[in-house]
Amino acid sequence: MLRDITLGQYYPIDSPIHRLDPRAKILLTVGFIVAVFLVGSLPGYIPIVLFLVLVVRLSRLPVNMMLRSLKPLRILLVFTFVLNMFFGTGERELFRLGFIVVKEDGLMNAVRFSARLIFLVVGSSVLTLTTAPVTLTDGLERLASPLKRIGFPAHEMAMMMTIALRFIPTLTEEADKIMKAQSARGADFSTGNLKARAKAMIPLLVPLFVSAFRRAGDLAMAMEARCYHGGEGRTRLHVLRYRRGDAVAFGAMALLIAVVVLQGRLQ
Amino acid sequence: MPITVENLTHTYQQGSPFQATAIRDISLTIRDGEALALIGHTGSGKSTLAQHLNALLTPTSGRVLLDGRDINNREVSKRAVRFEVGLVFQYPEHQLFEETVARDIGFGPRNMGLSEAEVDARVRAAMDMVGLSYETMKDKSPFELSGGQMRRVALAGVLAMRPRILVLDEPTAGLDPRARDYLLSDIARLHSDGTTVVMISHSMDDVARLATRVAVLEQGRLVMEGAPNDVFMQVDRLGAMGLDVPAASRLVHGLRARGIDLPDCCLLDELADLLEKLLKGGTGHAS
Repeated sequence: MLRDITLGQYYPIDSPIHRLDPRAKILLTVGFIVAVFLVGSLPGYIPIVLFLVLVVRLSRLPVNMMLRSLKPLRILLVFTFVLNMFFGTGERELFRLGFIVVKEDGLMNAVRFSARLIFLVVGSSVLTLTTAPVTLTDGLERLASPLKRIGFPAHEMAMMMTIALRFIPTLTEEADKIMKAQSARGADFSTGNLKARAKAMIPLLVPLFVSAFRRAGDLAMAMEARCYHGGEGRTRLHVLRYRRGDAVAFGAMALLIAVVVLQGRLQ
Repeated sequence: MPITVENLTHTYQQGSPFQATAIRDISLTIRDGEALALIGHTGSGKSTLAQHLNALLTPTSGRVLLDGRDINNREVSKRAVRFEVGLVFQYPEHQLFEETVARDIGFGPRNMGLSEAEVDARVRAAMDMVGLSYETMKDKSPFELSGGQMRRVALAGVLAMRPRILVLDEPTAGLDPRARDYLLSDIARLHSDGTTVVMISHSMDDVARLATRVAVLEQGRLVMEGAPNDVFMQVDRLGAMGLDVPAASRLVHGLRARGIDLPDCCLLDELADLLEKLLKGGTGHAS
């Protein structure tokens, strides 16, 4: 049942992309997004596509896994495409069907914005597919730690995220077990109208909340018993270090941005 | 023959990098009126097997037959199967959700579509079966009870559906000795009243006390099956799988190694009688 839902997208294999420092990957993702937005024309997407293909090949991720990340976006993509296509403001008309007018610039914009959306989603899903959630929060904490000086609780935020992520599989399993236990007593979660289904969730949600609170209490107790007192003066087991691969990746990103900018200038 | 399991294999998350085969090619028949114990190491597939018995899990391959009908067949109502084969999960008290004990126990019967009068009658009977007083307990919140009481409320919640076959996943885990004793007597009583019982347990003494037959799982395969006396006397083989045997079996095994001739036995009371007879009977073995 619920076990089949993949939570957190991490795809646990080994690849040069998986091995990159999480901080590097976060910064590179930001860099990639910037590059995508810098592109001003359709041919400008060629370096972006090449870069993405290279990264996906290096990451050894199955291509259908990447495409699956686009699935929730279908409707938004169709909207973006259709809206842009019909609301061109340019001179040249491509065709006209009654009150529907498609202009050249409208079509170009439709393709551009849809492509931009696709690249953004695929690019950032490389980050979540190749980085374990806990490593990701670790990277975020380190990146945000300079903000501690102005009072931003970077460690606490990261700890909360880590705990939340850590408990997703536990609670999923728990929910699965409770669902099965109630199904064994004849509960029906999948048929009936909206009201009936909402009501059917009560036997699942009440025990799940009880269990979540119990687990939270236990965890707080266990953390206190081990003298947890927040981030101050805390050292790490796994210290993040930039390696050569990260330098190469930063170099590649710099190159990509340079190419995109140059291409923009030349036109 | 109420339940026949044929070449059952189950793989979790097939096709993903997390795929894991929990049980492989298991064939097993559960006979009417027997008390079958499933034993095995953690992760040996006992719970996975149990969840196939009432169609909570669908086999990756193989079949599960209830009275000769494949319970995963589209034409067979899974809900109807679940009312026939009651499954009590591990730590079943974690599934309690209603405001009162009586309403929680009545959840199953109400799902069966019974009249309120019938539901009420079944709740009374089920509470009686697990030794809870209907009058004093029915209006309490299940969350204010002790662990042992909660466990019995949860058991009653399944019993109220009057299943022919009762499957229990580690029914005594985490209970104190007294609550455990009560619960085992409840199960023994149900069994002697004609309910077919399938019980998963890590406590070999519980198994020795209740089971009429024992099946041993190791790494998803059925490796041994037989009467408790026969299975438990294979102390070394079970030991190699990391499994314990009842205290009595261990004692018989040790005494035999010292040349004392004793019949197979896995119950302490029985063994005490045997030893008493042996000691009174003669001095032949003493040297």
